[in-house]
Amino acid sequence: MNRFLTAAVAAASLWGAACSSHGSTIAPPPPAGKYSNASLNGTYAFMTSGEVLPTNATSAVPMVRVGSFVADGSGHITGGVEDVNAAGTVSNAAAITGGSYSIASDGRGTLSLTVVSSVFNSTVNFAITLTSTADGLMIDETTTGQVSTGSGNFMLQNPSLFATTAVSGNYIFDFSGLDSAGAPASIVGRFSTTSGSITGGIDDQNDNGTLTPTGTVLTGSFTSDPQNANTLAGSGRGLVTINGEIFAFYIVDATRVRLISVASSGGAAADMLTGDAVLQASVPASPSGSFAFLVAGSDLNARNGLIRVGRFDVSGSTVGKILLDVNDAGNEIEHTTFTSSTPSVNYDTTTGRGVVSFSASTLLQYSFVFYLSSSTSGVIQDVSPSDTSPVSQVADGSIAAQTGGPFTSSNITGPYAMNWSGLVTSGGQFANTDEEDLLAQETSTSLNLTGTYDLFQFTGLSLGTNLGSTGSINFNGGDGSGGDGKSPTMNVNLSNASAIHMVVYFVNPQLAFFANRDNNGASRIVAGILKAQQ
Amino acid sequence: MKSKNRPLLLLFMLAGSLTLCLSASAQQGMPSDPQLLRTYNASREISAVGTVVKYDTASTVPPMGAHVTLQTAAGQVDVHLGNAKLLEANHLTLNAGDNVRIIGEPMAFGEGTYFAARIVQKGTQAVAVRNAKGFPLTTASTLTKAQREALRGVR
Repeated sequence: MNRFLTAAVAAASLWGAACSSHGSTIAPPPPAGKYSNASLNGTYAFMTSGEVLPTNATSAVPMVRVGSFVADGSGHITGGVEDVNAAGTVSNAAAITGGSYSIASDGRGTLSLTVVSSVFNSTVNFAITLTSTADGLMIDETTTGQVSTGSGNFMLQNPSLFATTAVSGNYIFDFSGLDSAGAPASIVGRFSTTSGSITGGIDDQNDNGTLTPTGTVLTGSFTSDPQNANTLAGSGRGLVTINGEIFAFYIVDATRVRLISVASSGGAAADMLTGDAVLQASVPASPSGSFAFLVAGSDLNARNGLIRVGRFDVSGSTVGKILLDVNDAGNEIEHTTFTSSTPSVNYDTTTGRGVVSFSASTLLQYSFVFYLSSSTSGVIQDVSPSDTSPVSQVADGSIAAQTGGPFTSSNITGPYAMNWSGLVTSGGQFANTDEEDLLAQETSTSLNLTGTYDLFQFTGLSLGTNLGSTGSINFNGGDGSGGDGKSPTMNVNLSNASAIHMVVYFVNPQLAFFANRDNNGASRIVAGILKAQQ
Repeated sequence: MKSKNRPLLLLFMLAGSLTLCLSASAQQGMPSDPQLLRTYNASREISAVGTVVKYDTASTVPPMGAHVTLQTAAGQVDVHLGNAKLLEANHLTLNAGDNVRIIGEPMAFGEGTYFAARIVQKGTQAVAVRNAKGFPLTTASTLTKAQREALRGVR
């Protein structure tokens, strides 16, 4: 979800103040829960987005991977395949020939995949936290050979639907990453398919700040990969051309397909785009009620991270109760007042496409294009200030209806998986800014958090595992009732580090979006999710 | 982009004065509408020449990234350089007391502005840190073909 278009890194930087001598060591709680190795059993499609420092290289580059692995329920990986795109250089259909995993009772675990191809054999390692037996969150923790990090997730596939004809209906998609020139890009939209053939659609593109609204999705087909035909039956993998870009796809089930760009149909350099296409079973009626959203990406002017997280109420074309928190290149702004004359939403009931706009001031105008896949969820792209090119950001993410409020200690309780990703600034001899990925399991009791986490900071190529954390959630912001789902103060205490201050918007008691709200301890631009474990 | 940069680099080498230079054309091109500062426009570029007071590879001042504080004849100027690793990769080090010339321009940032460098020159060495459209460069954006090919080993 969070795809920061981070700059490349050098290997020689030192571990520094991002997690240095502030705070105290926190003992991780003993694992408690219902999970075991048997909880990971079946074929899972996975996706991560991050960075890689290749073997013997001095600079890291952005990297995404999408693949599928088979877990046997007993700690063994028995097969799979993955596609990797590192700054536009693609490694297609690398076979996963084995591996292992281990799941603790709290759902935290490790996953190692043995990847074999004609070019390179290696093992890639992940930390995982199950959110159910059907899905979970993961971060890349590979430190042998290449060094790679990144955040993502995995979800159970339905092998009985591993056929191109399973992709049928209207799908809402969000592809984000880099264009073929290495510039940030985002494409959100809707395509229509009939038994695997794309018959048309519309999309909104933001390529390096140039918007192309309501473009036409060209026709194409979901097909078997002629060079790797067996991956369709084994992993739900094939190829599809969308608007001249060839993607490898992985079928999760009839409602979701995961995609990664692997080539340009014209032979030019590939984009580096990934994303999911989610079935829109029917076009949702005009949105009504409360919605939370999170977009993350790049401030193009400063080539820094950009996060916008917020919520609003919508009734007809009227937008109200807007709250928005922005972290633009390390500059955090909390908006609570908006000009009354400009909030609006326009929605197309034939496609599910809408535009919501509001202004905090003459200069700070915000506008977002969204496509709803259902009445409660969709994708969203930042087109601020006014849906007109050029814009100075490329950012996209998720929008979801807020339900289950008010949010209190009564319903925000129990175990959660937590993941954040973004940029952190280190101290040390050569202070620098680079990617940070955290994966944790936290238990909320009376809105106090206790848990265990792994943290990979590329600023110093430093990986910490199985560390203890605490925290707290305080619903005293927004309208003061918790009804808007906003907690301006979720504090996260990592071991031997200053408290990290987050702002949180709960979507429902099972899901929350969050981002750091200040630079306490270290300058950060991170965003993430809390997801309840089922 | 290279061909556009070459005349500028020659110009730097001929120039000698350590002052904050706002050319007449640049001043005339300064937009009154702050919205225009959201787009990098080469016609508004300014040459800032001065002495390094402080260089932070990772400043706490937004935008995050490397900043250099220059003492110019017109006062101190804080300049955003992008990612310090690009300068490091090009073996350009900045230390207090260094005389440098920076080509760039103010850009919108929130409700304010910051000074975005496009080219940093120290002595005879100049490093482009943004492209002609003002987008900061990274080491990843300047990979050679061989370096890209080596990425096929990535898993």
